[in-house]
Amino acid sequence: MRRAARYCPYALWLLAAGAATGDDGVTQFDNDGHERIPLNTVAPAYPEVARRDRIEGDVQVCFNVDREGRPYRIAVRNSTNRVFEKPAIRAIRASRYQPVPKDREVPAIKTCRTFRFRLESAAAD
Amino acid sequence: MDIARFLPLLLLLVSLAQAQSTAGRSDAVAKTVVGPANADLADGAAALRAGDVEEGVRLTERGLSRAADRRERVAGYSNLCAGLAMLERLAEALQACNHALQLDDRHWRSYSNRALVYLKQERYPEAERDIASVEALSPNAHTLGKLRAMYRDAVDPMTPSVIIDDRREAAADETSR
Repeated sequence: MRRAARYCPYALWLLAAGAATGDDGVTQFDNDGHERIPLNTVAPAYPEVARRDRIEGDVQVCFNVDREGRPYRIAVRNSTNRVFEKPAIRAIRASRYQPVPKDREVPAIKTCRTFRFRLESAAAD
Repeated sequence: MDIARFLPLLLLLVSLAQAQSTAGRSDAVAKTVVGPANADLADGAAALRAGDVEEGVRLTERGLSRAADRRERVAGYSNLCAGLAMLERLAEALQACNHALQLDDRHWRSYSNRALVYLKQERYPEAERDIASVEALSPNAHTLGKLRAMYRDAVDPMTPSVIIDDRREAAADETSR
């Protein structure tokens, strides 16, 4: 939750910017065409064991978003390493989308998000 | 390098060295022994495991003064090395590890403890050599992975990052709530 709170303002800023990289090691690419607009994007924690063992990987998670903007029926669609799946699911569960107004229909579409877990040399700069 | 990162590994090594020490006694003397052969060494190891490091070091030193054989001395010096490293008394820890390894140059736990001391002292080539010794003597040592990770983190630190990609096409699905 601390992490969620940490990324919340940053995620809102990303929404305005479209796509960007931040100091916290989170980069977000927005999809202009999707119907549900992210409101609060929570970045997953990099699993300590993966960091320790220098493992990188991708996880694609698909889910529905209810009228209030809460993700549900969250499922991993593709994953290169299981170690990343739980953090990815937790991040989706903690994320929020903009609610749909009462006078509009909730889009009958699944949303997918890919998390790319990467390690960068700290001595690069 | 703060002590919290090393503490679990050191405690684990302490417990194993102690277990080996007490087990080794049984085949050295053919008599019935109830409880640990060297109570001070055993209590010292227990104190170190419990986090009472100063008491652990004190008892281990006392146990060493009464050590009955080489095996006990090796385990005692190895534990002492671990305890002193926890207290950040690194020069003394190194001496204890060296002493253990002079007595038994195949004692992988002492190499492991010494590698940790070297890492704390930022003496990375020496740490790398000791990690290689652990690997050669005990390839399946459970401390090996952590040691390697600590070494890598020290010499080639990596920063984790996460890219959140929402650009993938959304899949058609059943009606949303």
